[in-house]
Amino acid sequence: MKLKSFVRLLIHSFEAILSSKGKAILMMLGTAVGIMLLSGVVGISRGVEKRIEEVMKFVGPRTGIIFAGGGRLTGASGRTGSGATLKLDDLNALRSSLSDRAVFSGAIRRDGFSLKYGSQATESQIFAGDTEFLIVNEWEIDSGEPIDNDDVRNVKRVCILGITAVKNLFTDEDPIGKRILINNIPFEVKGIFKPKGTNPMGFDLDDIVFIPLSTGMKRVFHTDSIRVIRFKVREGFDLTNVQEEIRGVLNQRHKIKEGEPSDFDIRTPLFIANRINEMTKTIRLGGYVLALVALFVGGIVLMNILLLSVSERIKEIGLKRAIGATQKDIFVEFLLESITVSLLGMALGVIFGLLPIFLLPKIMPMIPMAFTVKVFLYGFLFSLLVGIFFGVQPARRASKLTPIEALR
Amino acid sequence: MIELKGVKKTYYTDGKETPVLYGIDFKVEEGEYVAIMAPSGTGKSTLLNILGTLDKPTEGKYLFRGRDLTELNDDELSKLRNKSFGFVFQLFNLLNRVSVLDNILLPLLYTEVYPKNAREKALKLLSMVGLSERVHYKPNALSGGQQQRVAIARALINDPDLLLADEPTGNLDSKSSGEILEIFDEIHKRGRTIIVVTHEREVAERAERIITLKDGKVFKEERLK
Ligand SMILES: Nc1ncnc2c1ncn2[C@@H]1O[C@H](COP(=O)(O)OP(=O)(O)OP(=O)(O)O)[C@@H](O)[C@H]1O
Ligand SMILES: [Mg+2]
Repeated sequence: MKLKSFVRLLIHSFEAILSSKGKAILMMLGTAVGIMLLSGVVGISRGVEKRIEEVMKFVGPRTGIIFAGGGRLTGASGRTGSGATLKLDDLNALRSSLSDRAVFSGAIRRDGFSLKYGSQATESQIFAGDTEFLIVNEWEIDSGEPIDNDDVRNVKRVCILGITAVKNLFTDEDPIGKRILINNIPFEVKGIFKPKGTNPMGFDLDDIVFIPLSTGMKRVFHTDSIRVIRFKVREGFDLTNVQEEIRGVLNQRHKIKEGEPSDFDIRTPLFIANRINEMTKTIRLGGYVLALVALFVGGIVLMNILLLSVSERIKEIGLKRAIGATQKDIFVEFLLESITVSLLGMALGVIFGLLPIFLLPKIMPMIPMAFTVKVFLYGFLFSLLVGIFFGVQPARRASKLTPIEALR
Repeated sequence: MIELKGVKKTYYTDGKETPVLYGIDFKVEEGEYVAIMAPSGTGKSTLLNILGTLDKPTEGKYLFRGRDLTELNDDELSKLRNKSFGFVFQLFNLLNRVSVLDNILLPLLYTEVYPKNAREKALKLLSMVGLSERVHYKPNALSGGQQQRVAIARALINDPDLLLADEPTGNLDSKSSGEILEIFDEIHKRGRTIIVVTHEREVAERAERIITLKDGKVFKEERLK
């Protein structure tokens, strides 16, 4: 019963809105633009969340990376470029003092090394790492054998290929046991990795050659320092705590005092998530502010047009009071008009807001944007708020008219 | 049904006092058809608005079926108007954005219980006022006389006890006026109480009784039938 009379009232307010379309459009505009912006921001926020989830999944929630030199990626704290600060001895020291808490692995990665097999030649990135590296990163062997401690200890010239490297070098031969040239140094192919696809930034993770860390340092890269040490925290230990313990061990070895910046950098998924969050924070904040401004300005416009329409419809109000509408009835009618128009604006806004959410990721994949039902939820809530907040004043004015004031 | 006792009305606008009614006393019985007559600008509408509870007297009592309406609050008066009163105005006061049918149904938007047969009832009233062909027209596509007939149908949709009309033929030609007055006769024949306010003798003479005002007081009462 109550619902039916509400529906009748709703239809009545729709008719009022439809009867002056120009006004209705003006009234909707603010909410539409505001909700459109809001949808965009909500979409970006969801996109960021999603990208963080992807990164977390990719990095692994229990793993971290120690970079030589202060913040290479961040461009922050000191000694950028001095990439020679992590030595093999640091890795060994971490292993001997913290191996109950985490598995450590060292690796050096370099791009653009020539690979040759017979007449086939290509370029690829070289990963020099130890056996733990394969464990920590969960890089698994598809065929052949993994690199073992014996290979590392004896500085053997053996390698494992990713399938992109295999495709580039071999046509239909089985690569296992074949000799290839890395930077013109002969290596024996010991195994092939399971395909890994691409990472969230779009790198081909299968375009790699993996060699023992010792071999890489002595024969290929001619260096005694490691770029990165990866670690995976064992079950039951907290990543952040272990991170601090690692920092302690390395600071002590590098003779870095309390308060001084370290000459290395420890990255964890949390850190990466924070980075992504921070990078998009301004966009999102700006978007929210713009959306709120649009909603506010739109609300003011809506309120003024509705006030205008109250004075234009004084006779109508008088008539309704004469035929039995109470002050509350009139109040509800005008408030309902305000809310209805605001919700219609929301519908427009959501449609125009969803367009970029679905289109932008296709055109510019680096902009994180994803769909979420929150778009509808927020849109509904905010336009309802605008409708109520800015409708109250006109509705009150309409309802306070006495019947004869309105009928005269 | 109705008893006015010493009803006075003074308007106070912009610091000026305009006394209009100086103490009106009269009674209207159930089922009566009464005309209130006075020259233009002498307080007819003022009196009708008080009778319709759209305005309150400055002084005096207004008894409706024994209840003093001057003591009711705004909500109670609204409900009373919705249930018991039907209004017909000089300028029709229809909503142009909705159809003839929806105009007639408009008072039901504010009833506590929506009658089940509302639509049939509206159509019946429409046929009584001779406008069955115009159900889905918008009012501004109708002539003045037709619009007033729609307004009468609207006034009757809630089965009011009292029909109040303020110069119902004031804006109409004589043919349309005749049609409207015939409808009033018919409504009266079916037992409804009617009060019509007019400055035209021919209109007033259709009623059973004429109350003439002069200088804001009842000047004379004539019983015609
Ligand atoms: N709100 C008001 N404030 C001040 N004076 C008013 C107000 N309403 C009416 N009046 C005055 O009261 C007097 C009676 O007005 P009313 O409208 O009741 O007359 P009427 O007999 O209905 O006139 P008409 O035949 O023109 O409809 C007029 O002189 C008018 O100027
Ligand atoms: Mg008048």
